Amino acid sequence: MIIEILYPELCNLYGDLANAEYLARSSGAEVVRTSLHDAPRFLTEDVALVTMGGTTERGQTIVRDAFAPYLEGLVRRTDAGGVTLITGNALEIFGEYIENEDGSREAMLNLFPIHSDRHMMSRYNSLYLGKLGDMDIVGFKSQFGHSYGMNGDGLFRTVRGAGLDSSLAAEGLRRNNLMLTYLLGPLVVLNPPFAKYLLGLMGVAEPTLAFEEAAMDVYTHRLEQFSQPERGFLY
Amino acid sequence: MSKLQFYAALWAAKLSRPALKLTGHNGTNFPGELALKICPDFLRYVGKPEHTIAVTGTNGKTTVSNLLCDVLEMSGRKVLNNRFGSNIASGISTSLVNGVSIFNRSKYHVAVLEIDERSSKRIYPFIKPDYLVLTNLFRDSIMRNAHPHYIADFLTDSIPPETKLVVNADDLIASSVAPDNPRVYFGIRRMATDVTKCVNLINDNQICPKCSGELQYEYLRYHHIGKAYCPKCGFRAPEYDVEGRDVDTEHMTMTIADSGEGGDSHVYRLLSDGIFNIYNMVTAAALLRQLGMSHAEIAGYMDRTGIVETRYNVERVGNVELVMQMAKEKNALACSRAFDYVSHQPGRKELLLMMNCLGDEKHWSENVCWLYDCDFEFLASDDVFHIVATGPRARDYRLRLLLAGVPAERIDCEEDEFAAAELLRFEPGSRVYMFYGTDSLALAYKVREKVKTLGEEAAK
Repeated sequence: MIIEILYPELCNLYGDLANAEYLARSSGAEVVRTSLHDAPRFLTEDVALVTMGGTTERGQTIVRDAFAPYLEGLVRRTDAGGVTLITGNALEIFGEYIENEDGSREAMLNLFPIHSDRHMMSRYNSLYLGKLGDMDIVGFKSQFGHSYGMNGDGLFRTVRGAGLDSSLAAEGLRRNNLMLTYLLGPLVVLNPPFAKYLLGLMGVAEPTLAFEEAAMDVYTHRLEQFSQPERGFLY
Repeated sequence: MSKLQFYAALWAAKLSRPALKLTGHNGTNFPGELALKICPDFLRYVGKPEHTIAVTGTNGKTTVSNLLCDVLEMSGRKVLNNRFGSNIASGISTSLVNGVSIFNRSKYHVAVLEIDERSSKRIYPFIKPDYLVLTNLFRDSIMRNAHPHYIADFLTDSIPPETKLVVNADDLIASSVAPDNPRVYFGIRRMATDVTKCVNLINDNQICPKCSGELQYEYLRYHHIGKAYCPKCGFRAPEYDVEGRDVDTEHMTMTIADSGEGGDSHVYRLLSDGIFNIYNMVTAAALLRQLGMSHAEIAGYMDRTGIVETRYNVERVGNVELVMQMAKEKNALACSRAFDYVSHQPGRKELLLMMNCLGDEKHWSENVCWLYDCDFEFLASDDVFHIVATGPRARDYRLRLLLAGVPAERIDCEEDEFAAAELLRFEPGSRVYMFYGTDSLALAYKVREKVKTLGEEAAK
């Protein structure tokens, strides 16, 4: 089983590489790292999970250009049920455009009918509590903007914190098993039930997690903390 | 802005100091805060010394500022500094209030001001440093600083065009700041411990700034610090103007020299064998050379200084040595460097990890993603026989340590810091390291007292 990390030399902010590493530790999968100058392995090989993490603002542009030739391949993979997890501001690369503070717009890959804004002097930091079905999801947001224009359920249903934009209950984007979310944590490590859910989608029967007891202890404690009504959610 | 408004701000700020003392309030920034409230342009009008040196960067700015102050004072200059205040606008204002007479005349020759990177936009429009020392740029608090390229852009937008930079050439992110400003580069030549491939979890400069090709390193020290080049387009890191070389941690010496043949040079005694502090020395020397001091003079003065005790301190407690090791919370790089340093120290080690952001815990909950950028893997060594994880994020530390390869039987997890101290084993002949951050500084010193008592009892 292969887990592919796309562009780790750029898409590596905020511990997001640990998402793939944790799932690999929990499944025995091999992790392959695909650089900006190589074609993604999922185009030609059986890859159980593709991941991409957050990057710099310049990095978003570089990644857009590097990945554009392979976008159709990702669509084919997604339509065939392939599992992909995009986290942090890498989500914005798959929208229509990003709008800067001066009104200038940078076209993105246009896979989803959303657009994002970017306010470099106003960073948004919050805790996040949400749901995927009956599953509780905890995480963090730390970003320069939000995304707008989404109609639909998204990936997670927000209980506390901001959705894709601060007025939406839906957080993230989903098309079949292509999942995109702003949530940081790293998301998979901080949410053992979600990690198991992903492993299930990847074809692992009755998955168990690396250091599951310790991970569940962290998760249960954080969930309890984030559920406290008096807990501040904004930094 | 009237003159009256400025003087009202200055005199109110000056009067607030004795008032604070009388009422027993310890508000180090209050005079500056008050001055800025009364006169938002206070920093523009307040009297400044003839020369101003700003020191900024993710790590090392306090140590470099202290070194500069000490050396300049020893050389007979009157130095204004913000050593006992904060490094944001209100702290800088407080220092400047203290530095002028009631008629706004500066009483000092030179100011050495440690300045927080994110405060640049509030400070540099009014204070135009002659020199700006940029130590390095790394990932820091995700909430404020996002990523180092963001801070680099932020500084580039803020630094006055006439300011001369003294900047780390071994850090391509730092050396990209304010590219049109005059500058002096410093760095350290190849060291015995250097590698050519990054062993750390984070390296924020893996691609060429010109062509996005994969960067290679003639030598790599840690993370993105080293001598980089791009085999694809020929891009190379800047050459040094002032360089450290022949670093010898066994004999605790290093040569610092002006680059080029026949340049001034001298053998310096190392103040610490930690690479961060070796860089701090080269950084300070590079700036002091700009002020016309010879390397022999600088080395002589530096020899009489020391690294501030709050950052690294060793003392004998019973049958063990207790080491206070500062490792800034929410700063993966600072903790990685501290872990790396400790892992390379001889002997058996026991650790108390308490780099929690206690302020965050009061207001919301600490964003822990930095733990997964931090090289806890350095602690997965047989020498590190016991780790006690404590504080609000004790559980997170435990999971991260397990994922880093530390065996479960070596980890204890206790949320209460004082109860955690009781779990230490004080193995005779070992070292006990307490890791703490700026946010947990006061608590760390209280816990240290308990650790000392327990260590003495264990020796009986």
